[in-house]
Amino acid sequence: MIVPLVHVLVLAAVLFILGLVCVLVWRRNLIMILIGIEIMLNAAMLVFVGGAARWGTADGQVFALMIVAMTSAEVSLALALVVYLHRRKKTVNADEFSEMKG
Amino acid sequence: MKLYLTLILLLPLLGSIVNVLFGRKLPRRVVEVLACGMVWGAFASTLLLFLEYRAPARVELLSWLAAFDLQAPVSLYLDPLSLVMVLMITFVCGLIHIYSVAYMAGDEGYVRFFFLLNLFVFAMLLLVLAENLPLLYLGWEGVGFCSYALIGFWYRDERNATAGRKAFIVTRIGDVAFAIAVVWMFRMFGSLSITEINGMGVLMPAGAVTIIGLLLLAGAMGKSAQVPLMVWLPDAMAGPTPVSALIHAATMVTAGVYLLMRMFPLVGTSETVLTAIALTGGITAFYGATCALAQSDLKRVLAYSTISQIGYMMLGVGAGAVTAATFHLLVHAFFKALLFLGAGCVIAVMHHEQDICRMGGLRSRMPLTFWTFLAGAACLAGVPLTGGFFSKDAIMLAVLEKGTPLFYGLFLVGLLTALLTAVYTFRMVYLVFGGSGSVSPPLTGGGEGEGVPSRFITPTPTLPRQGGGRLRVMEAILIPLAMFGLCGGVLNLPDYLGQGWLTGWFAALPGPAAYGGRTPHGVDIIVQGVATCVVIAGFLFVHARYGGARREKAIEAAGAPSVVTLFFRAGWRFDDLYRLLFIRPYGLLARFFWERVDEGGIDDSFDRLAKLLGRAGQGLGSWTTGRVSVYLLSMAAGLAMIMGYLAWMVW
Repeated sequence: MIVPLVHVLVLAAVLFILGLVCVLVWRRNLIMILIGIEIMLNAAMLVFVGGAARWGTADGQVFALMIVAMTSAEVSLALALVVYLHRRKKTVNADEFSEMKG
Repeated sequence: MKLYLTLILLLPLLGSIVNVLFGRKLPRRVVEVLACGMVWGAFASTLLLFLEYRAPARVELLSWLAAFDLQAPVSLYLDPLSLVMVLMITFVCGLIHIYSVAYMAGDEGYVRFFFLLNLFVFAMLLLVLAENLPLLYLGWEGVGFCSYALIGFWYRDERNATAGRKAFIVTRIGDVAFAIAVVWMFRMFGSLSITEINGMGVLMPAGAVTIIGLLLLAGAMGKSAQVPLMVWLPDAMAGPTPVSALIHAATMVTAGVYLLMRMFPLVGTSETVLTAIALTGGITAFYGATCALAQSDLKRVLAYSTISQIGYMMLGVGAGAVTAATFHLLVHAFFKALLFLGAGCVIAVMHHEQDICRMGGLRSRMPLTFWTFLAGAACLAGVPLTGGFFSKDAIMLAVLEKGTPLFYGLFLVGLLTALLTAVYTFRMVYLVFGGSGSVSPPLTGGGEGEGVPSRFITPTPTLPRQGGGRLRVMEAILIPLAMFGLCGGVLNLPDYLGQGWLTGWFAALPGPAAYGGRTPHGVDIIVQGVATCVVIAGFLFVHARYGGARREKAIEAAGAPSVVTLFFRAGWRFDDLYRLLFIRPYGLLARFFWERVDEGGIDDSFDRLAKLLGRAGQGLGSWTTGRVSVYLLSMAAGLAMIMGYLAWMVW
């Protein structure tokens, strides 16, 4: 293995923190939240692939494929929700949608 | 042989499948030709099979149920009994299919009709040919379903749908008993094959065989409309008339009798069961005849007479005369189908008027129907030298041969029933065809029989609009049936005229089925003489009451029926009795469970729980901000705290 596992983990951690910061900084914008979540998922996927390469088993790659499939499904649903929410209030500000408060 | 058997079964099935899948896309003529052609194809292969038949054979087509020692392949059993049944069924069904094409010419639901009719033929043939009990049961339920769907064929009228449901439920009671018997037989014999079970009947404890026999009898009661499960058959007349002819007269209702004949080597070993069968048959024959006397609806007269005639067959089976019962079954199929189809012609011409008191004068208006109907009536009444005369006589003789006091009593009941049969048959003929025919008002509401609600107003378009072509086809079908009914006696002539064909043909049947002429021929002739006298007495009585001008007076008298007439007309009020005994308590119980237990107990407690949870959720919800950004931040903070804790733990 040319790239050591630690490097992969560091890269994944950096990616994850980038995603988290994205979510936290633009936490009032639904679309930015979604983008942040995608980046965090990619970080997790990277860890799986790195682990699979480190121990020479296919499990991690299988999980990575699973995550790809799941993410695409999730994004399509989430974007549909965003469109729907935008139609209702002409905004994508997350704090506008606070009907859960009793 | 295997090829023919497969064809017999598969052709009607193919017809029904093609019709149900593609029937709507096909032209009407194709659907009709397909339905008729498949049944006639089955008849043709039956004929070929008949010519090739040598000895009883068991043919396995494919495997079906197989688990451990439970073996129920799709295997067919061909012996004289099933062969003559298949011949009769395919022939009568073929004729009735052609009749239906003419009868249903104006109906939009023809695809559904022919699908169900073909499916019925398939199920009936499966029932008759099945070698093991599960397969027989499959056919048994199949014909039950088709009967249900065809009774309620014009389901838009709620009464028709109700009649269908009634038939389905009442026969289901018998079917449950039959199913129990099937399972029990498997427990006892370790086999489901009819031939094997029949061979082992004598080895088993008599008590168990008796109970199994009684359970089978209960199943037969439901299917064959015997007392006390006969209430569905008169209401089943709500279906189209060809259906009444095919299912509720010629074929399906005889399935119960067929079951008992098929299992006769088993049930025949128990004298108790035989007595019970004979008693059921005798009582039913008498019951049906008395009810038929008082009916004013043409199809109901025929329905009650069917009940009565099947009672005769049961009586024959109970007396151990399988041959005689089969003989009567075959002849009855011909002449009763003939009577129903003739009634269909009459009803079509009368614009769906079914009240016989409002008919009259049809002898000159439709002579062909009159003469063929008269032939059928002669068979039904047992006029000497017709088929019905010989077959009924064979049963009566067998009953007399048993020679116990009970069977002497049943013989007298049978004679009395024969008298009643002659009376109601000729009454029907006189009322429908006699008179001048001045009274034929095409009422819109249909026949209002006094006392009985007329529930058989059927919304087919009236016939003569398209001219007489359809009627001519329908009447033409009556001719071969009349021939078979009249000449049916040739099938099994009494012993003094030489060996009967059916007796010789059935000699190969196993078990105590063989019924030889043990009595001297003199007794036979005396019995036939008595039967002749009875028929003549009945005819003279009817002629005295309804002949000539007295017909109008009798009709007027029928306007104010006596208590006894009303009692008979309502079928001895069995419907009311069952309503009081079963339906009312069941309704009350259901209402209790619905209002108290379901709505009051279960629904109410859940409603309260839901309300409680909802209120708790609202209370908790007021603690939150409802803003997603706050949730995200707090989640991140929680994550940071967990990470910090882990880091502290490691270092």
